[in-house]
Amino acid sequence: MIKFDRVKLDSKTEVLREKVREFLDNNPEHLQARNSDFVTGHDPDFSKKLGAEGWIGMTWPTELGGGGKTFFERYVVTEELLAAGAPVSAHWIADRQSGPLLLSFGSEEQKRKYVPAIARGESFFSIGMSEPDTGSDLASVRTTAKKEGDEYVINGTKIWTTDAHRNHFIICLVRTEDPTENRHAGLSQIIVDLKNDGASVRPIQNMAGGEDFNEVVFDGVRVPADRVVGEPGNGWSQVTSELAYERSGPERFLSSFRVFIELVRDCGLKPEPHQKAAIGKIASHLMTMRRMSISIASMLEEGKDVAHEAALVKELGNNFEKVLPEIARLAVPEESSVQFRQTFMDTLLLSPSFTLRGGTREIMRGVIARGLGIR
Amino acid sequence: MSTTTIELILDTASRIFSDNCDKSLLDSCERGGIPQDLWLLLKKNGFNQLGMDESGTSISDLYEFLIECGRYAVPMPISEILLMNLWFGDVGGISGIGELRDKKVFNVPHGMGISRVGVVAKGQKTVSLITDLEILESDYNLAGESRDVLDFRVEGEVSQATDPFAQMALTRVCLMAGCMQTVLNLGVQFASEREQFGRSISKFQAIQHNLAIVACEVAASRRAAEAAIDAWGDDRFVLEVAAAKSRVGEAAGLVAEQVHQIHGAMGFTQEHRLHHYTKRLWAWRDEWGNEFYWQSVLGEGVSKLGADSVWSFIATSS
Repeated sequence: MIKFDRVKLDSKTEVLREKVREFLDNNPEHLQARNSDFVTGHDPDFSKKLGAEGWIGMTWPTELGGGGKTFFERYVVTEELLAAGAPVSAHWIADRQSGPLLLSFGSEEQKRKYVPAIARGESFFSIGMSEPDTGSDLASVRTTAKKEGDEYVINGTKIWTTDAHRNHFIICLVRTEDPTENRHAGLSQIIVDLKNDGASVRPIQNMAGGEDFNEVVFDGVRVPADRVVGEPGNGWSQVTSELAYERSGPERFLSSFRVFIELVRDCGLKPEPHQKAAIGKIASHLMTMRRMSISIASMLEEGKDVAHEAALVKELGNNFEKVLPEIARLAVPEESSVQFRQTFMDTLLLSPSFTLRGGTREIMRGVIARGLGIR
Repeated sequence: MSTTTIELILDTASRIFSDNCDKSLLDSCERGGIPQDLWLLLKKNGFNQLGMDESGTSISDLYEFLIECGRYAVPMPISEILLMNLWFGDVGGISGIGELRDKKVFNVPHGMGISRVGVVAKGQKTVSLITDLEILESDYNLAGESRDVLDFRVEGEVSQATDPFAQMALTRVCLMAGCMQTVLNLGVQFASEREQFGRSISKFQAIQHNLAIVACEVAASRRAAEAAIDAWGDDRFVLEVAAAKSRVGEAAGLVAEQVHQIHGAMGFTQEHRLHHYTKRLWAWRDEWGNEFYWQSVLGEGVSKLGADSVWSFIATSS
């Protein structure tokens, strides 16, 4: 049964929230191009500062450089950064996904090698899942890694890989065994050093003019055999276990948040009736989704399986991220401010990606249907 | 309130309702009277005291109970009875509550069969009691629930209550949140049983996706209702109710529409029980302030804070 636990953030997290706000106030130079989309601001210096504050890898064990904190504390930090429009993209994937993956499945050596650097905000990761012929049907990946002696030789192409041209490592889903009837068998996850292993990275311009995602070509790229994460052949279940982390966080409903701020600013202290209603409608959705997302943080804290709930939050959140600018454009005064127009246009141009990245809307609905027991 | 108390209350309520609130009771109460047997059974189990200090329950328990009432579309004005008992004491009978507009009291259930009515107006902190009831119009809402119009001449006793209009809105939030869970369940059940093209229609992706959309709305509504209940006693109570009534009211129409579509013509019949729930969703979203009203209340509250405090407001909502 799909269920969202009823939880409140405790007072400890509110102290932390104040610290994050103070930190942001003290670092205005990093908040020039404010945008709540988690992909668009890549700022390694900012990530390093966050690492120094202990705000990357917050829930990870302290002996590996983590913070030993709760998922609630992590939640508060991430939502404050997004709401402020801070540039979080450099460390985001490593913090959200790659680190937890390595902690769950990686060897002791891998943990020691990669995790502390991620937590310091010095080591950034990308995810190699999609391929030119593999989108939603992830099990159809064709990139192969063949074992030769104590190395794997990787051949194939990954695409839509966010920040591969800027980040240090990519964890790729590859086929280590020939396909059999069980499509989910024979897949593995393997770490490639983007700077040193010889993968070629070509940025792809998106329709907003940004160059954030890439095509990554592996033409006989050789990596040591100890780069496989977890058991060879166990890739599918590892990948699916990452998804709960990927799908339920505040980045799934806050991407267009800055549009809301500018709308409220432009409507002023005494808005027209239709403007009040628009503002109230947006607020009512945000308040509710935020609580659902916090419920998931609590369930993660308790080690519960939240696959269906996470898909549900992503589905609701991504759809609303798209609806928010639509409500705002009809409510904003005709003579809107430059800030509103700029934020609105930036967000609208990014919005097609909201319901694609991290699993499409159609895939989310399928996962939810499974939670309802009809699939 | 201990967790065990509320669980016991909800468990008992659920048993009583599943034994009694069947299709035939819902049919007979549509544009009809109060189900006296059910009311006596609820009283026998002490539900008339719910929320009162002497019963060892809290007002939050009362609202939780209303979610359960919504699940079964309990065909009696249970919200009105319980809040009146809280505001003016339990006198054993059935009481109504109505909204004051232009010297008339609207939406009073069963004006003919009751002896006292609490009168609530938007933005007022007091509830006035009227006991000399003059019915101007005998009417029903979309679901056939009695909603009479009374004359407001003589004001009786006045009781201080915390945001009574918002409390009434919260009753509808809870009822809708429970009711739409049943609508979703009916949709899932029907889609699993109904066969077309040689398989159950739940195997079609289009149906799966529509039910997924409904599930999102139902889950969000439940969470919104609980959040508003939890805000009782807090400065933010009215704004939290505003958020919940807006959000849940929006969901109500979508849930009803989608699940009717899944049921095809069968769900459009008087014989199928779906309409008892969907008609209530359509009715309740308009009672005690519709989405536009409450969005405006919330929007005004947010605007007053100024753009740079918007995030703080949202982030305190837990």
